[in-house]
Amino acid sequence: MQWWTLFQKELIENVRNVKWVWVPLVMILLAVMDPLTNYYLPQIIDAAGGMPDDTEIQLPEYQPADVVMMSLGQFSSMGVLVIALMSMGVISGERKSGVSELILVKPVSYLNYITAKWASLALLTLVAFSLGMLASWYYINLLFGALSFGALLQVLLFYGLWLLLIVSISIFYNTLVKTPGLVAFLTIATVMLMGLVTTIFSHILEWSPNRISTYIQQMLTTGSVPSDLTGAAIVTLMMIVFLIFGSVYTFRKKELAS
Amino acid sequence: MEEVSILSEINWAVIAPLLVIQGILLIVAAIDLIRIDRTNGPKWMWALIIVLINILGPIIYFIFGRRND
Amino acid sequence: MALVTVEKLSKKYDSSPAVSQTSFQLTSGKCVALIGPNGAGKTTTLRMLSGLLKPTSGTIAFAGMSQNSDIRNSIGYLPQHPVFFKWMTGKEFLVYVSRLAYLSKPEALRRAKNLLERVGLAESANRRISKYSGGMKQRLGIAQAMIHQPMLLMLDEPVSSLDPIGRRDVLTLMEELKEDMTILFSTHILGDADEVSDEVLLMHEGKIIESGSMGELRQKYQTAKIKLGFDGDLRDYQEKVTALPTVIECYIQRDVLHVTVQNMTAARHDILTAASSEEWPLTSFAVNRASLEDMFMKAVNS
Repeated sequence: MQWWTLFQKELIENVRNVKWVWVPLVMILLAVMDPLTNYYLPQIIDAAGGMPDDTEIQLPEYQPADVVMMSLGQFSSMGVLVIALMSMGVISGERKSGVSELILVKPVSYLNYITAKWASLALLTLVAFSLGMLASWYYINLLFGALSFGALLQVLLFYGLWLLLIVSISIFYNTLVKTPGLVAFLTIATVMLMGLVTTIFSHILEWSPNRISTYIQQMLTTGSVPSDLTGAAIVTLMMIVFLIFGSVYTFRKKELAS
Repeated sequence: MEEVSILSEINWAVIAPLLVIQGILLIVAAIDLIRIDRTNGPKWMWALIIVLINILGPIIYFIFGRRND
Repeated sequence: MALVTVEKLSKKYDSSPAVSQTSFQLTSGKCVALIGPNGAGKTTTLRMLSGLLKPTSGTIAFAGMSQNSDIRNSIGYLPQHPVFFKWMTGKEFLVYVSRLAYLSKPEALRRAKNLLERVGLAESANRRISKYSGGMKQRLGIAQAMIHQPMLLMLDEPVSSLDPIGRRDVLTLMEELKEDMTILFSTHILGDADEVSDEVLLMHEGKIIESGSMGELRQKYQTAKIKLGFDGDLRDYQEKVTALPTVIECYIQRDVLHVTVQNMTAARHDILTAASSEEWPLTSFAVNRASLEDMFMKAVNS
């Protein structure tokens, strides 16, 4: 009941600060940006003055799977940035402004407080991401060829898990430091570092969350879920749970006023 | 001539959603800017950014212009 | 009956103590003022009582509550500069915090409505908090602190940032609230404490240096002093007054003769008798009451 009160407040706040408008729209733009530019590349080159007559423009024939990967590629860079920026102040900002002093002297359970914040961000992120992929799917079917809805759902499920991990990392840093900008920086730095470590130790880190998108590509071309993807998904899920409980733990240990 | 008309027909199905998104971003950002008490930096600056920078302007405003309190 | 017993409470930041080895009790049903200059450790003490800060050492015990039960159910706290969710309306905020304190929705709505009326915000109930003035925010702050009917209401400098009208509103409100709950409020303005508190705790450099009821302290720090005003040259009468047997000391300060006496009753009699028999041109006769300021300065110096 208290959890619901906290969660509801987060939802209303994100409606009033228009996050529920701009985050989905940005995700849609990110998802359709690369597919559209690639499709219209010949016209764009023409409009820009064209190539010398004797150059033959040889554009690759994109398969639907390739186009999905274009959208996911944008989410992996700009999408992560957007999530980090829109979530950087959810807890740290309340502590910085001092409003948490009023809230947390009420008998609020820290577990409820943290998980309600997490859930509201997770919901916004997943809805925005799904709308983005739906838009991408619309253009894929319109311009590049058919992609089954089942395949789209699988992409949403596995890549959604990766985005939830980013939300969880952000929540964790929110409980650790009080400056929103620093939270965003640490979140992005952590994701980049994880990517680096995954590349360097690729032979042992086969189930690293950072490899989810690589395995999704495999899944789309082969049509079946690779076992490494299941493994990576399980590892990601465990990390999310670990981060949530870690956040509650650090928050409980923190002095709320200082 | 025929080729051009075919192209413009395809263009609408592709471009219309983008135009709608751009429009919503612009309108929501403008309304929000009018209603909000304070922004980071002067309001007129954000008004220019929202109106002049296509698509990206409103987004930059939402992330950096709004005061989160 | 002691509602709260604080023993040897200390708080260190980095190594400099903000509060050191402080012990005191809060009596149930009293309005207690925590007085001290800025930086004396008042806010730190209140924050420890409210659970926002963890004491470096020492204990805080609430009567009738075990060590591991959530004391936040029984306390209300208003920080010195309360910050709200500015996008909420006053009513929404009150309903929100009372829901957090496990009140049912109809009950939360009912109390929010009552309290908004009580603190004089009924007309602004549905306005965004961002449009509230400083005094309105302070009153909303008091409302949110007491909405779950705590046993102890703690207010950190509730009036010091307010203009005279806002200050008057809040002091009147505190006067009313005294009937229902124990209040502990901090202030560095002695007059405010004098006006509403039953008991005072004087805090200086992290320690409680004096405590007691206003009456007790008045008696303890009573300076037997009489101020006399004359028509004409004061120096003519200074000698005569000094010559009286009960007078210890007599000096002139800003057109007033300050007389320190041994025994107030006897001295009053001597002075008034002399004044009437010798027909002194007295313009004023005032017995000095010990002000909180005097008490505080004395307590700090001793």
